Amino acid sequence: MRRPRLVLCLLALAGAIATGATAATSADPGITGKTILIGGTTPLSGTASAYASVARGANAYFKFVNSRGGVNGRTITYKTVDDAYDPAKTVQATRQLVEQDKVFAIFNSLGTEQNVATREYLNSARVPQLFVASGATTFGRDFKQYPWTIGFQPGYRAEGWIYGKYLARTKAGAKIGVLFQNDDYGKDLLAGLKQGIAGSKVKIAAAQSFEATDPDVQSQISKLKASGANVLALFATPRHAIQGYVFANRLGWRPLIINNAVSSASNIMALASEGGTNKAVENSISIVFLKDPTDAKWRNDAAVKLYRSIMSRFAKGANQKDVYHVYGMAVAYEFVRVLKAAGKNPTRVSVMAQTRKLNDPSNPFLLPGLTVKTSATERFPIEQALLQRWSKGSWKSFGGLWGYRAG
Amino acid sequence: MKRTDLGGVLLFVLGAAAILLLPRFVSDFRAQQFAYVGIYFIALLGLNVLTGYTGQISLGHGAFMAIGGYTTAILVSDQGLKLGSHTFSADVKDIWTIPLAGLVAGIAGFLFGFPALRLAGLYLALATFAIAVAMPGVLKYDRFAQFTGGGGGINLFESAARTRPAETTDPITFETISKPIKVLGLEIASFNEWLYYLSWVVALFMLAVAWVLLRGKNGRSFRAVRDSELAAASSGVNLATYKTLAFGISAFYAGVAGSLLAIATTFVNPDTYPITLSIFLLVGVVVGGLGSLWPLVFGAIFIQFLPLWAQEVSKAQGAPAVVYGVILILVMILLPGGAAGLIRRLKTLYKSRLPSRPLSRTSD
Repeated sequence: MRRPRLVLCLLALAGAIATGATAATSADPGITGKTILIGGTTPLSGTASAYASVARGANAYFKFVNSRGGVNGRTITYKTVDDAYDPAKTVQATRQLVEQDKVFAIFNSLGTEQNVATREYLNSARVPQLFVASGATTFGRDFKQYPWTIGFQPGYRAEGWIYGKYLARTKAGAKIGVLFQNDDYGKDLLAGLKQGIAGSKVKIAAAQSFEATDPDVQSQISKLKASGANVLALFATPRHAIQGYVFANRLGWRPLIINNAVSSASNIMALASEGGTNKAVENSISIVFLKDPTDAKWRNDAAVKLYRSIMSRFAKGANQKDVYHVYGMAVAYEFVRVLKAAGKNPTRVSVMAQTRKLNDPSNPFLLPGLTVKTSATERFPIEQALLQRWSKGSWKSFGGLWGYRAG
Repeated sequence: MKRTDLGGVLLFVLGAAAILLLPRFVSDFRAQQFAYVGIYFIALLGLNVLTGYTGQISLGHGAFMAIGGYTTAILVSDQGLKLGSHTFSADVKDIWTIPLAGLVAGIAGFLFGFPALRLAGLYLALATFAIAVAMPGVLKYDRFAQFTGGGGGINLFESAARTRPAETTDPITFETISKPIKVLGLEIASFNEWLYYLSWVVALFMLAVAWVLLRGKNGRSFRAVRDSELAAASSGVNLATYKTLAFGISAFYAGVAGSLLAIATTFVNPDTYPITLSIFLLVGVVVGGLGSLWPLVFGAIFIQFLPLWAQEVSKAQGAPAVVYGVILILVMILLPGGAAGLIRRLKTLYKSRLPSRPLSRTSD
């Protein structure tokens, strides 16, 4: 009995030591005449593993593109590594992708702190850090210092600003209670909200922070209720946002609830509604920039149909109602577009150059009318969104596109 | 006794030689991963002084690593301190922060040892867990943000010339520029290799220190506290001294490991020393073998590589955690004594086949 165990141990050790090597023939690593290798980190385990669907959706789209011949004859391989949402692991995993797997670019790595942790390294090594999956303002604002980094989704500051403007226009005299995560993401949203209500009659009655690692936000919610607020802004990731709804309901508090986009996926709203018993979710407000596959409006939309067929072919068993898959496809679509535009022989330099002059009004997974746009002086690819209201089990968008100018 | 010592020294020299030669045989990137093994090894050595030898469970060693890591980060980046120019060259200033980081963490651990005296078993585990839970909040606290950088943390990249990649591509000519790195007059091929040698030289030194510390009277006293506090006290072992000492030493090791982790990761923020790190450390000690020293290397390999293997098995959402858990349970069922237990069993097996040899060499 002892021997097989020892053999297993040795095998496991050998597995650790065995090294992989990838050959690169082009000027830049990760690209050959037939293939292009990109990589990114994603939380497959840990508190943020709900976001794993972002990378899954992107990967499904790349497989779809490959099945149709790839980009200029090159197939795209997208290697994802689990970082458990721990920035120290993100650094290790990113170095692995760059130094061992020799990826052409880091693509769609998820998380604010995670991308901040690797940004200096990637910029110093001149590896593109493409379409960072975080809306932190720094990724768009600090492009002079970090020319190899670019974001994608609407900035958190822009999002907060939209909520503020909406309230200023429609709910004069509103008193807002803000629940925000105590990091750059939560603080960006809060700063945007303040900017949006500036000069109006709308006031922030109280702002309560929590740590991403806090088990719950019950005390924060009761303090916000006690402040006399009639609007509750949830600037929190899914777990804490759901708790916000649940505790507000238990306290018998019925404010107008604003829920940030990172927690407004329909499946999360369904959880927050506690099987329809929690009425606090009704009439919630959020922004949307993607075609939500659960929104009846898109039932016969060509892009959503394409989304479903790609998912059933290349991501079998995945929950097609999860809007994060659509986000993954939207960002993968944009990467494919950039790669095509970079010509027959893309280099890291030429790909980066393309990301500085994006002008794409036709990303099919984004809302119609929304343009992905950057320029030499402006690096926030998406700055437009619609407002949407949660009603009877699904989101319904209303009003026109809101556009935010950084400044 | 003498023969065991000699054997131990011989084993140490052979092991050290193997470790220092390893980078010749593995890729640059593997060297970096093994550097992390060295770092975890140091933390495990420290935790084992406390848990394996003295019997005090700590679920908060990640917090002591954070103290060490932040000490190094703040000193290296001059965050909020305005120390001005150092007398040391910019290229080695991270090295001299390592003992300081250990010292700061050690003092914190020693002080924590006093309230911990009143607690035992589960209650101590909970109290130490509380420091791990509280640490991120303390580091993010607005008043300290000028030193700790708040939630955004501190970036150490390029604060030492070495952290620049050994090879970069010139953006205009596409030529590869290689940059050999000089440290203390020695040329080192890459940052990864530098990390490897740094962490393993420190690790071997710390191993030797732990070995010297834990043999003889001190080691017996620590073990006596673990086995029976009453019996230890009645044999003249001062419980308070040895318990607080164990906490201090253990936290010193954690601080050194945390400092190296900051240098290796080139970044610290509250999330780089998460609560799970404290738990992984305990897992590493148990897998390596409670109350052992060098077999803890296997514990360190386990916590560094198992999460990576777990991903190879399945990339489904949440699956790596399940694979990790299953493997951990299997290891615990098959090797209840950890790697040290397996080695001991192999030794007895070997000796039972050779009955002519004396059985006196059954030391840890």
